[in-house]
Amino acid sequence: MEKVLFAVLTLVYLEISTSVVSAPICSYGQAGCHVPSLADLFERVIQQSSRMHSVSSDLHSEFEQYFFPSQNLIGKRKCHTYDILTPEDKENAQRLGREQLTEVIVRLLQAWEHVQDQNQDFNLYSSNKALEISDILHELKDGVTIITEKMKLLGVLSNTVGYNSPESLVPSSTFYTQGDLDSMDHHDLLYCFRRDSNKAKNYLRILKCTTLPEPDC
Amino acid sequence: MGCGAMMKSVMEVLLLLMLFFTAHAKEKSYSPPEKPTQTRCRSPEKETFTCWWEPGSDGGLPTTYALYYCKENSETVYECPDYHTAGENSCFFNKNDTSIWVNYNISVVATNALGRAFSDPVDIDVVYIVEPNPPEKLTVAVMEDKGWPFLLVSWEPPHKADTRSGWITLIYELRVRLEEEEDWEMHHAGQQKMFNIFSLRSGGKYLVEVRCKPDHGFWSEWSSTSYVKVPDYFHREKSMWILVAVFSAFIFLILTWLLHMNSHSLKHCILPPVPGPKIKGFDKQLLKNGNSDEIFSALVVPNFPPASTSKYEEMLVEYLEVYVLEEQELMLEESKDLLDGCLKSENSRSDSDSGRGSCDSHTLLMDKCGETKEEERQTNRESSLIETQGWKEEAINHDTSGRVKTWPSVYSPLPQYGSNPLDKQSSLETAKQHSLSTSSFLTQAGTKDALGPSYTDFCFSNKQNHLHPQTLAHRELQTRSDVNISNIGRKRSPATEYVEVQRVNKEDMVLLQPVVSRCGHIEGCPNLPKGEDYSKVKGVDCDNRLLLQREGTGEDVCPLVDQETNGEGGNCYTSSTVSTTQKPTACMYTSMPLQEETALTLNGYVDTATMSNLPSC
Repeated sequence: MEKVLFAVLTLVYLEISTSVVSAPICSYGQAGCHVPSLADLFERVIQQSSRMHSVSSDLHSEFEQYFFPSQNLIGKRKCHTYDILTPEDKENAQRLGREQLTEVIVRLLQAWEHVQDQNQDFNLYSSNKALEISDILHELKDGVTIITEKMKLLGVLSNTVGYNSPESLVPSSTFYTQGDLDSMDHHDLLYCFRRDSNKAKNYLRILKCTTLPEPDC
Repeated sequence: MGCGAMMKSVMEVLLLLMLFFTAHAKEKSYSPPEKPTQTRCRSPEKETFTCWWEPGSDGGLPTTYALYYCKENSETVYECPDYHTAGENSCFFNKNDTSIWVNYNISVVATNALGRAFSDPVDIDVVYIVEPNPPEKLTVAVMEDKGWPFLLVSWEPPHKADTRSGWITLIYELRVRLEEEEDWEMHHAGQQKMFNIFSLRSGGKYLVEVRCKPDHGFWSEWSSTSYVKVPDYFHREKSMWILVAVFSAFIFLILTWLLHMNSHSLKHCILPPVPGPKIKGFDKQLLKNGNSDEIFSALVVPNFPPASTSKYEEMLVEYLEVYVLEEQELMLEESKDLLDGCLKSENSRSDSDSGRGSCDSHTLLMDKCGETKEEERQTNRESSLIETQGWKEEAINHDTSGRVKTWPSVYSPLPQYGSNPLDKQSSLETAKQHSLSTSSFLTQAGTKDALGPSYTDFCFSNKQNHLHPQTLAHRELQTRSDVNISNIGRKRSPATEYVEVQRVNKEDMVLLQPVVSRCGHIEGCPNLPKGEDYSKVKGVDCDNRLLLQREGTGEDVCPLVDQETNGEGGNCYTSSTVSTTQKPTACMYTSMPLQEETALTLNGYVDTATMSNLPSC
């Protein structure tokens, strides 16, 4: 009995001694918290965006599998983020600059956050993944915000970057058919979300590689 | 000739022409073209893309193909800008015409003189049709890590794909196999551009290939194969084998040592030693030490032989029965009586079987019983031979009939012997020799045929004879053995000298004579008669005692042995050993300290020690 107790105590001690001190991460450098580097932040954000894109792709493909067996769907597709000017090729993206790029990313994320808040039916067909999307979306947006701040702090980013007020955005509530959700609309919704998440991911990568130039980016 | 042939040939030609025309006419059935099919569209770097289609039948007319597309949310229809860069039935979209994250709606039209055909439209987004080129500059090098080799594989992304700016992100995968094998070993490398492969076979030749994929897209083709040969590194394995060899040698040594340590017990296990005869009370160590006194004292078993007569009788195992002529038969019967008498007679004082012994001195009986001249001789040897009782039976000429009953006897000193100053060893030897001699006598007696009337006399005399108790006392153990006379050795060369019965005279005197003839064969046998060795039987006194002459003088007659009075064994022998060393004294029975050595060496018979003074009659 004593031996068991001793073993338990030893294990506990080892556990405590070898465990990594996990301090809360803070981007403002408050005392007592572990401040991650910009590279780490970018790493995490890119991972998040990648994950978001994967989930959105799965949602879209599932939807298509069950509801639209034929691939040849010709529809007039319009995403509610159409007015957000996004670069559509590499040159344009590089030409945009860090600040604008960051802004674009943020706007995209914001727009989709808004849609999700407004449309509870987002989660209509696949509940698990839909819940996941909302979490990721929020985290991603927070992460990008932190990065922006960090970059501003570091002087990498000018202070001209601002957040668009939600009012400036196209009201998403009217964009997608509300209430009686058409399967077509839902399909469009998922399609648009997939694409925008891809855009976000790509823009973040470009941002990282231009901000932190590495030979192996 | 001419007309018909001519006509025929013309007809043939015409037929042929007609055939041609009809055949030709069938091919020419024109129709509008068939609908072309779009196979695929691919973008190698997410900046340009190409679309391919598969034409249908062209309907027999030259057909042209055109590709038209329109972008998302735009009604403008564009035609393919480049039909040639990508080859036949393809459309190449350059950077200017390529928009990412824009939905293209593409269709192909086939047109010929008779009509046109539209293919099924296809919606594509360039982001999702990226199929990069294979990685480039694949290098494989053999590196060494603490003596163990590994492959260091490195490559570069396809030159068109812009991974540096982050526009496109590629993940890689490589595969390895040995040249002689068929199955590939896959390794996922992620986004890194180098990889280590371990667990190589020494001296093997490896093939390495790598491919890549954008995070959402298609896998590229496998790159060109890179070959590498791993050098032989058996020096490593060699050291291992050396270690193994040393270890096994060590174990072998230990086993050998263990085996050696336990070899004795193992030997006993595998090859158990043959048990030797064990004599109770016999101590080998004592024998080695040379202390014979102790040995034989150990051998001496108290209360042996058993004192009871009945037991004694039981010990009678076998006896020789000699069938002779009628006279002999009578003698036989007499001998039998005598024998019984011998048996019954006991030496109250001393050993129980002394009487028996006397009966067993067949040797005396056998040989030259009738020879008178030997009578004068002093036959008597030391001990047992003289045992005249013995020869009673032996008197039976087993030659004649063939069946002789006798008791071969072996004499060994009795415990009573202890009072004697005799050397025990010598007494033992004496005993041995007694037995030998008796048996030998027996056989020899068998050969002799000089038996005659002396038998009877002898036998009679036997009755009267009695061993002196004292002498009888000397006769100690008589052991009976089942001996078939026939088996008894002539082979044996018994001890040297012994007395043989020449004859028995009328006065019931046993006439003893030395066995001269035999003596000659025996080593160390002194010439007979030695006055000292033999004693002549002078006569038998009233007490049934054999009177022996000393020293061959003939004058002294000393009865030696009282046969009858002795007990069982019927020591029908006279202890003739009176003599050897002692000076004869008239009618004096001397208990002779057995000069066993001298006596025994000669013939080993009756030990003189057993001789005791017999009272003269």
